[in-house]
Amino acid sequence: MAAVDIAVSGGARGGNRALTPISPKKRRSIWQTWGVLMIAPYVLVFCVFVLYPVTYGLWLARHPQSYITLFEDPVFFRTVVNTVVFLLVAVNVKFLLALFLSGFFVHERRWIRWLSVIFIIPWAVPAIPTIFSIRFMLNPEWGIVNSLIFRFTGLDGPNWLNNPTLGLSMAMLVHIWKALPFWTLILMAGRLAIPREQYEAASVDGATSWQKFKYVTWPSIRTLYLTSTLLSMIWTLGDFNSVYLLTGGGPADLTHVLATLGIRYIRLDQVDQAMATIVVALPFVLPLVYFMMKRLSVDE
Amino acid sequence: MNKIVREAKLWLIAIPILLWTLLPIYHIFLFSISTKDSAFSGALWPAKPTLHNFAVVFRQDHFYLHHFWAQIWNSLWIAVAVGVLTLAVATCAAFAISRLKVKGGRVVMNAALFTYFIPAAFLAVPMYKAMGTYGLLNSRWSLVLAMVTLASPYAIWVLKQASDKLPWELDEAARIDGATPLQLFRLVYVPLMMPSLVAIGTYALILAWNEYLYAFLLLSHENTIPLAVGLGHFLASDDSPWELLMATALIYAAPPAAIYYAFRRYMVGGLTAGAVKT
Amino acid sequence: MATVAFSDVHKSFGATKVLHGISLDIANGEFMVLVGPSGCGKSTLLRMLAGLEEIGGGEISIDGRVVNDVDSKDRDIAMVFQSYALYPHMTVRENMGFSLKLRKDKQRLIDERVANAARILNLEPYLERFPRELSGGQRQRVAMGRAIVRDPKVFLFDEPLSNLDAKLRVAMRAEIKALHQRLKTTTVYVTHDQIEAMTMADRIAVMNEGRIEQLGEPLELYDHPVNLFVAQFIGSPAMNIFDGVVRAGAVEALGARLPAAVLRAGGTDGQKVKYGVRPEHLELASAGIAAEVVLVEPMGAETEILAKAGDTRLTLMTRGRSIAGPGDRIFLAPQAGYIHLFDAASGLRIA
Repeated sequence: MAAVDIAVSGGARGGNRALTPISPKKRRSIWQTWGVLMIAPYVLVFCVFVLYPVTYGLWLARHPQSYITLFEDPVFFRTVVNTVVFLLVAVNVKFLLALFLSGFFVHERRWIRWLSVIFIIPWAVPAIPTIFSIRFMLNPEWGIVNSLIFRFTGLDGPNWLNNPTLGLSMAMLVHIWKALPFWTLILMAGRLAIPREQYEAASVDGATSWQKFKYVTWPSIRTLYLTSTLLSMIWTLGDFNSVYLLTGGGPADLTHVLATLGIRYIRLDQVDQAMATIVVALPFVLPLVYFMMKRLSVDE
Repeated sequence: MNKIVREAKLWLIAIPILLWTLLPIYHIFLFSISTKDSAFSGALWPAKPTLHNFAVVFRQDHFYLHHFWAQIWNSLWIAVAVGVLTLAVATCAAFAISRLKVKGGRVVMNAALFTYFIPAAFLAVPMYKAMGTYGLLNSRWSLVLAMVTLASPYAIWVLKQASDKLPWELDEAARIDGATPLQLFRLVYVPLMMPSLVAIGTYALILAWNEYLYAFLLLSHENTIPLAVGLGHFLASDDSPWELLMATALIYAAPPAAIYYAFRRYMVGGLTAGAVKT
Repeated sequence: MATVAFSDVHKSFGATKVLHGISLDIANGEFMVLVGPSGCGKSTLLRMLAGLEEIGGGEISIDGRVVNDVDSKDRDIAMVFQSYALYPHMTVRENMGFSLKLRKDKQRLIDERVANAARILNLEPYLERFPRELSGGQRQRVAMGRAIVRDPKVFLFDEPLSNLDAKLRVAMRAEIKALHQRLKTTTVYVTHDQIEAMTMADRIAVMNEGRIEQLGEPLELYDHPVNLFVAQFIGSPAMNIFDGVVRAGAVEALGARLPAAVLRAGGTDGQKVKYGVRPEHLELASAGIAAEVVLVEPMGAETEILAKAGDTRLTLMTRGRSIAGPGDRIFLAPQAGYIHLFDAASGLRIA
């Protein structure tokens, strides 16, 4: 038949192009093959550096004895209390501040924009220089804070870092100092997503600033605020630097949080214990992580 | 009158923000230009500001500073390696998931998100043991690979979000034009994703440069440790030269601040892109 | 230039069947328009021709060669998308030359082809610009330029004018038609706008719910629609359709006895019918359908009159001006020879 003849003879223009028909399976698979090739590097990284370590770690944490030792260690109970206080206070104070400051930074002024660039610095620079700096500022003998207190009141300032309550509070302050810019930025983005017309309509309707916040801003960013708070709780659980670099967990291991406690066991070569410390936190962390993933999960 | 009151209110808020933000930073600077005595005097500005401390650092003229240049080189090397590798891994993965719609892409994306949400400190202990098993402890590669593992999930997420915004017709037009997957990646996808790629590369680089916990867990030899860990060693004794520490710290803190400032437009846009979706 | 043939083509998306056995032959150099409402399957059919969708059943051939299993890039086609799909990071010149560059053609050939296309489409001043610097109409021309440069066997257009404003659409219609007359490439054009179909097509395929309702030249579809759907889809303003009953060689409708064209096969007494007459073929008369004028819209050269006969709305188009005013009682009669009768049950044409 004519059709077959034409197919066989090629009938192509521009003879330098091969016109081999590719079966649908093969054609689809060229694109699928490349898909697999390109995702492979990450899958490899994940399997070698997440899957295996996590499985190995959980296996190390299998001895019930580790947990018994853990619960019998007086440090542990104190650590849990510290961690809970840290999470509840630091995260919420941080977010209230972020909510307030995000409202400040969305004002359109040139100098405010410059201020926001400066404001990011705590988050952008490494922890060691800044936390050490704060540590020295708080030194009871020669630190700037106590020097100023003495100069203005003639009294001796408290021993900031050697007092467990003050020490933990200062660690929370450090944490807030470092993390606040990031979350302020996130809430700012949320605020900026609200169309200006809604505020203009509210103005015309006679709303005060507080009412505008309550009826326009808050309903729109409420979800973002809550989701961010949850995510921040998960991450704050892992904030090692704030406590370790400021107080080292002292005095007498009284300001440890779970993150620093785990590492303390590693330093003492008690790896099983370290893993147990982490596993103990999982019943709290995993539901939160699951919830976060549902929120952000990839819908095809 | 109202306008002045409003401006005054803004200034009233701005001043505490400025003080709160800059005080610790200023303090670093203050110590770094002070002599040992004036540093401990609690003064707000040194009586005799000096650059002598920096000279000592650069000459590696102190016990804790003997390997300063090696350490700063390590920090740089590790940061750049992490930036480049994260970019490579994440760009390819995001392309596969978003444009090629590879089977199982959703699973991989979820696995990545999981890694991103778990606190890094929790992963540190298993990672430390695993690196031991792989025999990588004390090699700079252990820190590089660990940081790539930590930075990639967020990178893939951001790149996927950005990529999903590109119209699907571009891929169809390119296919009809005769593009192979690699040509599509090279000639259409990467050029269009440039701003996000810059943001992610910078993010990964800064993350690696700033890292302390993983660095001090995975590396211990004086010659392999990055500057962060070197700084941590100063705390070993109570009598360390704090003014030298601060001078070194200032040098260590400057590059991320500078890079962030240079790329700030990319960073803010690129990194908050994923956020508002929540 | 090439022929295109669809042979009993089927397609389903999941459980939904979108194309029911489409068969269509497009001649060499023909401008074929696929027109129909949203969801009728016209875009799907085009995309299957382009190789962007898998074929569910049947065969598609280009120039006699079955292309079911052939990759898009080997089908020797070019496509103009509704949203232009220009590469934002490339200049106009680079956009147009991209496909040739992928084939690794010589730079000289690429420059020549691009210059040629640019000349035909008046794009020469814009060659170094980026898409974001161009207007909608200019971008559309670049998209066409990209197609021309490939010198393909078939041009495919997927609703290219939908994103343009009305005035621009009229201008671009003429340009596309002129292009076709110049290049004489076989073209398959998809649109939901029947005016585009009428003005540009050599032949039109009216599609509805995955089937071709009628295939033919524009005026053939206009003058002799084979069913109610085509009758109401083609023509603007739409044909007047109202219910009637056949009685003694004529049709009783809207309280009047109306003439009916020669009753061909199936015109039985008592049969329920749909009576169709186009607005320009309805006249003010001294007797006929009693109606009341609702609205008079003078458009200068013509006047559109909206009238109500009972619950039925009727549209009238008269040349020139009209003295009728809202509220006037009038009689309407259809012009002989321009009447369309459809069976009320099947929708098929009787006469």
